[in-house]
Amino acid sequence: MRTARQGIICSTYRRRLWHLSLALLAFLALCGTFQARSAPGANAAGVQLIVTVTGADSKPAAKVAITVADAAGQLIKGTTDADGKATIALTESGRYGVYFDVATLPSGVGPAANPTVRATTGNISPQFTAITLTAGGVRTEVTPAPLAAPSATGTASSTGSAAAGGEAGGGSASSADSTSFLDQLSSKISTGLTFGLLLGLASIGLSLIYSTTGLNNFAHGELVTFGAFMAYMIAGQWNLNGWIAISGALVLGGCFGYLQDFLLWRPLRKRRLGMMQIMIVSIGLSLALRYVFAFIWGPDRLSIPANNDPVVSFGSVNLRYWDVVGSIIAIVLLVLVALFFSFTRTGKATRAVADNKALAAATGINVERITRIVWVGGGALAGVAGALIGYYQTLQWNAGALILLLLFASVTLGGLGTTWGALVGAIIIGLAMDVSTMWVPTSLKYVVAMLIMIIVLLVRPQGLLGRKQRIG
Amino acid sequence: MDFSFISQALSQLFAPDTAAFALATIGLAVHFGYTGLMNFGQSAFMAIGAYFFAIGSRTIGMPLPLCLLFGVVGAVVFALLLGIPTLRLRADYLSMVTIAAAEIVRYVAITPELTPLTGGQGGLTSFDYGNAWAALNPIPEPASGGFYILGPFSYSRDDLFNLIVCWAVVVIAALLVWGLMRSPWGRVVRGIREDEDAVRALGKNVFAYKMQALVLGGVIAGVAGMLYIMPKGLNPDIGGTQTTFFLWTILFLGGAATVFGPIVGSMIFWATLIITDGLVGLLTSADLLPISGIQGGQIRFILVGIGLMVLVIFRPQGIFGNKAETYFNG
Repeated sequence: MRTARQGIICSTYRRRLWHLSLALLAFLALCGTFQARSAPGANAAGVQLIVTVTGADSKPAAKVAITVADAAGQLIKGTTDADGKATIALTESGRYGVYFDVATLPSGVGPAANPTVRATTGNISPQFTAITLTAGGVRTEVTPAPLAAPSATGTASSTGSAAAGGEAGGGSASSADSTSFLDQLSSKISTGLTFGLLLGLASIGLSLIYSTTGLNNFAHGELVTFGAFMAYMIAGQWNLNGWIAISGALVLGGCFGYLQDFLLWRPLRKRRLGMMQIMIVSIGLSLALRYVFAFIWGPDRLSIPANNDPVVSFGSVNLRYWDVVGSIIAIVLLVLVALFFSFTRTGKATRAVADNKALAAATGINVERITRIVWVGGGALAGVAGALIGYYQTLQWNAGALILLLLFASVTLGGLGTTWGALVGAIIIGLAMDVSTMWVPTSLKYVVAMLIMIIVLLVRPQGLLGRKQRIG
Repeated sequence: MDFSFISQALSQLFAPDTAAFALATIGLAVHFGYTGLMNFGQSAFMAIGAYFFAIGSRTIGMPLPLCLLFGVVGAVVFALLLGIPTLRLRADYLSMVTIAAAEIVRYVAITPELTPLTGGQGGLTSFDYGNAWAALNPIPEPASGGFYILGPFSYSRDDLFNLIVCWAVVVIAALLVWGLMRSPWGRVVRGIREDEDAVRALGKNVFAYKMQALVLGGVIAGVAGMLYIMPKGLNPDIGGTQTTFFLWTILFLGGAATVFGPIVGSMIFWATLIITDGLVGLLTSADLLPISGIQGGQIRFILVGIGLMVLVIFRPQGIFGNKAETYFNG
């Protein structure tokens, strides 16, 4: 009697939460469309810049002393390490100039311009820039000085991919002091929402795989990196259109999910391996896949070639094509997933399996089929999310570990094993990470995500949308 | 043909790295093998022990024993921070929070803002403790040639000292854990591993026992971190997730619920890594494998990942483990 009553109360409560989360989703989607338009080209927070210097022999140039003049007028010194990399903490995102200390350059080579002036794009951290030394390069000593206004060095900000952000950065540099708190906040909110939507896309699969199979998939981050590398392969190596790359990541991600389930997880379920064992298997898979990516695409950070000219710009704000398109794709896919779960038979069956596997099987639902669909769908969504994250920032073989951390924070915040919790959690995590950079160093924004996760576990361990009995 | 890797593999069997990884795996055996805690952040305990030790010596300038204590305190505090929110919850939460916390520790350690303290991505290579440590060395200068020759191996005075200290600590920790697991305390934590509710029904405070096990294993890993950086300085890679995955592989090689399994597991693991590296290097240099040197370095990690999967699927009790002692629920 008591349990039945509880069940009824529980199910009405669940239905309300379900409607609530759908409404929230629609609201956030709307916000996303509008806010995405005001994503910044530059802002007042600092970002980490990693300068890679390559010699004429295309080997890294070590022990080169550089001075970076950033948009805030600071001069920051650095020296490249054995990999030719120097890490510089810019006090302000935007336009910057890299000055070389000619005495420390390898003999006979120099940069094309001293200083090399480029610009950061948005407040994504870290940012990367590669400078190649050539035989006919500049070898005259230049004393580092704070950057002049863009008009004074009109030729400088012409270096390829960063040109778009360059103009925005210059604008922001001159008006940095007048940037109001609200302007900053709204720009943070927009970048946070964009990234949160992409995280949400990736986390739905993680959450669904958990609720249908009980597997806490530690290799899910690698599904996301897989999508990013597929997009890189299609757009970067085969020089095909970006839309083909995104669709390719979707399809191949789905195939990868299917293959994983078919070759590994289904046989393991048949063997009746314990859940903890399967979890450790996923850890091993994550390690192996990560280094397979490194084996194929190398250990360096790659970026998908894209036109970085602003397509939407007003005031000092510039939005790249893929910033806009990425948000729209994410929202469209999320709405489609919502419709799938609400209105199709398979979608409803998936929710039933996620809720109670035994009961679903008893009502005639083919649990194996649903599990397969979840793996394919989860893989496809993670693949698209990976491709879009690849366009949004850069991609690297080991990015999956970091993404996994954010996905875990998202599903814990939303409620482990709930369908929509992951999305709600992801958007909150994305927002919190970017907004927090107004007060904490940009490189520590992941710590913020982690702290949110720990606080949630302390205060409401079942997550925002989770049920108490799930936490065991 | 360069077959020097065979002798390298032999000397690696007794190297300080092997000892440090064996020690950290003993800590992991306390967590997972005996108590059933899914800790995927063991590298963070090593990193915290190492960083606290190094910072205590370099920045604060504490004497050596206080530095050691500082590292241990760091590991204890970290264990409490991890345990309080997660140990009351299901195993999944601990596994997620620990792996996330390990990444956070690494990010904080390499963040440019903290470079004066932690050395950023370059790590900390010059230590003041180096001299204090060398001064403790009671071994006399070798009579001739500057090396001690032990069978096929030759060690300098400092190397020999490191080696003896590392293995002494490993043996002490192994005996301590072996004894503890035969004590009433050990029976309770093994009971928790088998059936938490049953132990709770006996009136035991399960949370407190789990916390004690987490702290104990964490401190052992913290000491392992200190031993690991002692001969060569601190590289922030120690806190990477691959370190944790190595430890899990070692644990399953030797057997999760054994004390001497981690030691043998660590020896097998490192020797196998060096032999595969050597073989891959041989094949690459003889142009039998169409891969670059960098790719050759990645093969070992792919093999470790696959090895971990295969071990867990087909031999979860490890080489020396007892199948009845292998805890996997479900």
